[in-house]
Amino acid sequence: MFRTFLSLRYLKARKTNWIGMAGILVAVGALVLILSIMAGFLEESRRTLRGNLADLVIQPSFQSSVLQENGDWVPMQTDVERMLEIIREDPGVAAATPQLQWYGIFAPDGGESALEKPMQDAIQLIELVGIDVEGEGEATDFRESLETEFGKKPGLGKHCNVGRPADLDDPFVNLREIRQRRTRPKVPILVGEQLAYLWGLRRGQEVSLVTATYDENSSKLNETAANARFQVVGSFRSKDNETDSRRIYMDRRALADFLQRDRLWSAVLVKLNDYKRDKEAVRARLWSKLHAEGFLSAPGIRINEFRTWEDFRATLLAAIQNEKALMGIMLSLVLVVAGFTVFALLSMMVTEKRRDIGILCALGATPRGVLALFLMIGLWEAVIGSAFGALVGVLGAYNIDAIERKLSSTFGFQIFNRDIYLFDYIPAEVSVSGVAWIVGGAVFSTLLFAAIPAWRASRLDPVEALRHE
Amino acid sequence: MTLPSDGPIPTGSLPGGSLPGGPIPGSTVPSGQLRTEPVLACAGVRRSFPVGERRLEILHGINLELRAGERLALMGTSGAGKTTLLHILGLLDRPTEGSVYVAGQDAWSLSARRRANLRNEKIGFVFQFYHLLPELSALENAVLPAMIKLSRRAFRSNRAEFLDRATTMLTRFGLADRLGHRPSQLSGGEQQRIAIARALLLDPPILIADEPTGNLDRGTGEKVLEILLDEQSERGVALMLVTHDERLAKRCERVLYMEDGLIQADSSAPIPT
Ligand SMILES: Nc1ncnc2c1ncn2[C@@H]1O[C@H](COP(=O)(O)OP(=O)(O)OP(=O)(O)O)[C@@H](O)[C@H]1O
Ligand SMILES: [Mg+2]
Repeated sequence: MFRTFLSLRYLKARKTNWIGMAGILVAVGALVLILSIMAGFLEESRRTLRGNLADLVIQPSFQSSVLQENGDWVPMQTDVERMLEIIREDPGVAAATPQLQWYGIFAPDGGESALEKPMQDAIQLIELVGIDVEGEGEATDFRESLETEFGKKPGLGKHCNVGRPADLDDPFVNLREIRQRRTRPKVPILVGEQLAYLWGLRRGQEVSLVTATYDENSSKLNETAANARFQVVGSFRSKDNETDSRRIYMDRRALADFLQRDRLWSAVLVKLNDYKRDKEAVRARLWSKLHAEGFLSAPGIRINEFRTWEDFRATLLAAIQNEKALMGIMLSLVLVVAGFTVFALLSMMVTEKRRDIGILCALGATPRGVLALFLMIGLWEAVIGSAFGALVGVLGAYNIDAIERKLSSTFGFQIFNRDIYLFDYIPAEVSVSGVAWIVGGAVFSTLLFAAIPAWRASRLDPVEALRHE
Repeated sequence: MTLPSDGPIPTGSLPGGSLPGGPIPGSTVPSGQLRTEPVLACAGVRRSFPVGERRLEILHGINLELRAGERLALMGTSGAGKTTLLHILGLLDRPTEGSVYVAGQDAWSLSARRRANLRNEKIGFVFQFYHLLPELSALENAVLPAMIKLSRRAFRSNRAEFLDRATTMLTRFGLADRLGHRPSQLSGGEQQRIAIARALLLDPPILIADEPTGNLDRGTGEKVLEILLDEQSERGVALMLVTHDERLAKRCERVLYMEDGLIQADSSAPIPT
C-alpha cells in the first residue's frame, strides 16, 4: 500500500519530478508530432510518386511469336479489344484502358515563352500519350488531374493562361468543333501544367511536334509529321511534377495517325478493386491467361512486361521506407534522453531520501518494496508524461498547418515554404498504433532507466541511512 | 528486585523459556524472577566494521534477553556500541557473529520478507532524531506502519480503524490540533510524540528507543518520557531504552552498563564499584 501512496506523494511534493515528466512529455509529443508529419509526408510523397500511374501496367514486348509452355511457338497477339476482355473478366479488376505512348519534341516554333529567357532554342523531350478519354478516367487519376484548378500553386498562376478544359467528360470536345469548321484538322492536346508554363502556351494556341519512328522493314528512322499541327485545349496537373513538365495527352487514334504506325496501343493500364490486397494474385492470374493466349512473350512474369506502379518507383519507394525507419531510430534517441533525465532525477532523489529509505526499512518495508516505490515514481512520470505528450502530439499533428501559419505570421517569415514542396499544406497522418508504440516505448525506456536508481535504493544499508542526521 | 506494580507483566506462556537456538551461554536471568519467554534476545553477538584494511570490532559477544513487558535501560559511555547493538536487536543490522531472536524466531535464518514482517509487527522504533517522513502529515506518519503492513485493499477496508487509532493516540499525546501538520512545522517534542505513536500503532511487543530525549530540552524531554513510559506500562510492551540519564535508568527494572562492546554490569547483579 505504502508504495502507491508514497510514490504519488513524492511525485506531488517534489517539483523536480515534474522536470522528468515534462521531459517525457516533450519527447513523446515531439515524437508523435514529427512521426505523424513524417508519415503524412511519406503518404503524400507516395501519392506524388504514383502520379498518374495505374495500379498495373501491362506492356507487351511485341515480338513476332511467343513461346508457350508446351514448347510451341505461336504468333504474338496484338488485338487490344480481346486483351481488354480477358483483363476485365478478372474479379479483382475494376477498370482497364489501352494507351499509346511515344516521344517527340516541340518544333522550333513550338510556343512563345512566358519566361524572360525564351525556351525556343531549347530541346525538350515530350511524352506523347494517346488515351481513350473515358477509359483513362476510370483506370487512372486522369480526371482528377483535369479538375485541378490551375494556378493554385503559388507563383505559377499569374504566369499561366491555359486554364482548365471546359468539359471534363470530353476535354477534347472544344477542338472537335473547331476541327469541323476548319479545312485542315488539328489535333487537340492537353498539356502538362509545368510544360505549358515553361513554353508559355495558351489555350487555343497551335503547336508543332516532331518525332521519329522506326521502320521495321527498311530498318531506318523516319522523321514523321514534321508539320502536323496540334492545338492546346487545356492543361492538367497530376501529382507528379515530372509528368506535368513533359506529358501531352491526346486522343489515342489521333496519335496513332500522327505516328503512321499500324500499332494502335503500347500498353494497357489496369485499375484493381483492392490494390494492396490483390496485386500479386491478379498479376499472376492475368499473366497466365494472357500468356496462354499469346499476348505476353516471356515464360514467367517478366517484370518489364507486367508492372505495378510500385515497380516503376521501386528505388524511391524503398528509399522513403528506409528514411522513415531511420527517422524513427534517430527520434528514439529523444526517448533515451528523456529516460536519462528520469534516471538522473531519481538518482538524486534516492541520494536525498536515504534517511527516508532507512526509516521505511525500520518500519518493516522490504527491499523489494523500496524498489517498487521508486519504480512507481518512474512509472507515474512515464505514464502521465507520455499521456499528455501523446495528447499534445496528436493535437499538434491535427492542427499543424494552422499552427505553422500562426507562427509564420507571428514571426514574419515562412517556416514551411509551400513553394518548395509539392503540396500546399503540411500533411500529417496520426496512426493509432504508432502513438501506442511511442507511448509504450516511452514507458518501457523510462522504467528501464528508473530501475537502476530504484535498485540502488533497495540495496541501501538502512543503518547507514539512519545514522545520518 | 521487585516487579513494578503499575504494569501488568504477562507470565510466559511457554515453559522453560528456552530459545530455539538452545540456552544462551552466559545469559543472565535475574534470580527470583519468573523465567518468562524472552520477546527479544541475542546470543554471542559480535559486530565488526571494516576500517581501512583491518576490521574494527565494536561488539565483542553480547548476550541479552528482553522479557515481555520488561523495562530495560542500556547505559554506557559514548562509543560503547549501544546504538550498534540496538540496530542489531532491531534487525536493521546483521551481526558479524551470533544470533538474534525475535518472538522466539532466529531472525537471520528467515527470508528478508519474513524478517521485514517481524520488524513491522513486533518491533517499534523511537529514534533520537525522530525520523519522520517530511512529506507526510503527522497523522500519515503515525499510520505508516499499517500502510507498510497491509496491501492496498486490506488497508482501504481498515483505513478508518487505523486512522482512528492514530488519532486517538495523538490526541492523548496532546497533538489533536496538529494532525495535518508536516514535521517541519512541528517542534522536536511534538515530532517525537508522533514517532512514539508510530512505534505503537501496530501494538508491537517490543519497543526500542535510542536516546529518545537526547535531542530535547529537559522539560520537553521529561514530558515525552512520561508519555513513553505510561504507554509502555499500560500496554505491557517490553522497552529497551538507551539513555545517559541516571534518574531515568532508576525508573527501569533493569539497567545494563555497556563498555567497549561488552555488557559490563547488570543491575540485577551487584553493580561493580
Ligand atoms: N559503519 C561503521 N564503521 C566503522 N565504525 C563504526 C560504524 N558504525 C559505528 N562505528 C563505531 O562503533 C562505535 C560505537 O558506535 P555507537 O553509535 O554504537 O556508539 P554509542 O554507544 O551509541 O554512542 P553514543 O552514546 O555516542 O550514541 C563508535 O566508535 C563508532 O565510531
Ligand atoms: Mg548512540
